[in-house]
Amino acid sequence: MQRRDFLRNLVITTGGITVGGSLLAACGGTSSNTTVDGLAIGTPENPIKLPVTTEAIADGLASESGTLEILNWADYANPESIAIFEKQFGCKVSTSIYDTEEAAIAKLRNGTFKPDLILGMTDTGLAKLVAADLLQPLNKSYITNFGNVIKGLQNPYYDLGSQYTVPYFIYGNGIGYRTDRIDKNAFAKNGYDMLWDAQYNGKLGVLDAYRDTLAMAMFRAGVKDANTSDAAIITKAGEDLISLREATNPKVDILAYTEMPAGNRDINFTWSGDLFTALQYLPEGVSPDVLGFWYPETTVAKNDFMCITKNAKSPVLAHQLINFLSDTDNAMLNREYVGYQPALESITVDLLISTGTIPESLIDALVTPEKYESGLAQVLLEPAVDALWLEQWTAFTAG
Amino acid sequence: MLFAVPFYAVACVAFGTIDPIFRDAVPQWNPLAWDFTQAQQVFASLATGPLQGVAVRTIIYVLCAMILCFIIGFPIAYFLVRHAGKRKLLLLVLIIVPFWVNYLMRMLAWVNLLSNDGLFTRFMRIFGINYNWLDGSPITVILGLVYGYIPFLILPLYATLERLDWRLIDAARDLGANSRQAFRLVTIPMSKAGLVAAGILIALPMFGDYYTNDLLSRSPSTEMIGNQIDFFLNASTQPQTGAVLVIALSLFLLLLMSFYLRSTRQQSRQTTR
Repeated sequence: MQRRDFLRNLVITTGGITVGGSLLAACGGTSSNTTVDGLAIGTPENPIKLPVTTEAIADGLASESGTLEILNWADYANPESIAIFEKQFGCKVSTSIYDTEEAAIAKLRNGTFKPDLILGMTDTGLAKLVAADLLQPLNKSYITNFGNVIKGLQNPYYDLGSQYTVPYFIYGNGIGYRTDRIDKNAFAKNGYDMLWDAQYNGKLGVLDAYRDTLAMAMFRAGVKDANTSDAAIITKAGEDLISLREATNPKVDILAYTEMPAGNRDINFTWSGDLFTALQYLPEGVSPDVLGFWYPETTVAKNDFMCITKNAKSPVLAHQLINFLSDTDNAMLNREYVGYQPALESITVDLLISTGTIPESLIDALVTPEKYESGLAQVLLEPAVDALWLEQWTAFTAG
Repeated sequence: MLFAVPFYAVACVAFGTIDPIFRDAVPQWNPLAWDFTQAQQVFASLATGPLQGVAVRTIIYVLCAMILCFIIGFPIAYFLVRHAGKRKLLLLVLIIVPFWVNYLMRMLAWVNLLSNDGLFTRFMRIFGINYNWLDGSPITVILGLVYGYIPFLILPLYATLERLDWRLIDAARDLGANSRQAFRLVTIPMSKAGLVAAGILIALPMFGDYYTNDLLSRSPSTEMIGNQIDFFLNASTQPQTGAVLVIALSLFLLLLMSFYLRSTRQQSRQTTR
């Protein structure tokens, strides 16, 4: 059996998964580890101890001199935080940008990207990075702030023992809206149906992310599974999105964070963190209270993380930057620019509201440990199932 | 070689396989082992499935944009050749200068101008035109294409018109043709090769364009084939489908090119006679 065939058989699809499994694992609950030769995919119900093929760096090494290479999403780290880090550790940080995990992993595998540290990767990406043997295990002695991480994420389902990853930001999917145009109570009554309301024609957007937006249509129909392989459910979600398109002529992009504050959109299905980012794009004189967020009962909750590449030239600096960004004050400074919610226990809803960092109108956009636990997880789909999702997405986006 | 090698590489991706774990394209370099299953599905979708609408819309948008380019560009090229006099060079430079700026930057500038409180939108309101340009409108996308590509029509047309023997038009006028007849019966036929070349020159990039729609609309109702190629190659787990769409578009453009080559050959024969 070829390695690829072997790996193919190990791709799994699970349904009805809640993120809460990770908390269970963290609390020492039972879990059946799935450790696989070369490939590891964890799910909340089936957390995984990832295989380790190399040693972590030794304790107490000195920082490297020179440049720390980072691979990151655009605008996903505060340049001011990076400048402080550079000054503190006497190094230079150089950042390359990726815009999809798929493209980033492809470029990591073929050597186009050779970063020391990757920021913002998610669990589906992790499975591939480990399969490609691109990561090195972390040495926690350099990450003394690891204890600041949300307890439920210190032992996540996708990486039991946090061997390779340290959580970066958390977020959930929901609906952002303009409070000066839409009554908050309308969501309690109509929920996801708000996105199908023709009165928002031309003033509505949905995420340009097929897994998220199709899953949203499924949740609206009462399905509580973000990874279904049921062709009838997938087809129905596609048909529902087409009816959304016909009713509202939506924008399909990831620009809610600029379009909503500019007043170009009344309502947008988006990631909760985008609303915090949107605060920075409000025109002068416009109150932050114009932005609101409805956090659905049934939705996807996620986190991303930081990890170090196997062939990192500056692994000590990479560990030190992870530690730096896991410090509460540094994370708050980083959050000021990125907008998203750091996955730290110390950065609570109360702290963010009481310090005026987040306006009251956006309190629902904050992901509490309870919301994270009840959120649904997305896992890698089998190619044939993935093709069904893509087929429906094409039917929607092709107009 | 510049065409054949990249085209072969695209074909190897299109008729190859997908890595089941990494979901990357695994090119099949041996043509004897090419698998056409995915290609058949994509062509079926283009013919009768979800991609049909995108294909038809792309053709309509490009045709509309080309017609507008001709309506706007031909008189400009004609004016430059016949009436610009000493200002010819200056006017040519003025046409070209905006295009020294990167295409994306120019389109982003238009996004600002066309936004609800943008300068252009406010200016049009003076004339009672209150149009939401960035509302996923086909008009905006077509005008964006016209703006983006019109210099590539004007310049070859200008070159063609400048080489015309204008004494023939004078002769037509001497023989009793009015200015409209002289234009229709002499100027247009003589500049046919230039018109076709300029048309092809702008049609080729327009068919593959995706960023104009991305920046000015982002609505599924204005999605073009280039947007689907971009999605499948860059943001989906089916790069194969993107590669098949590239081949389908290339075959279509090849048809247009053959028409152009046939047309220039005929023109050349007529000139030789």
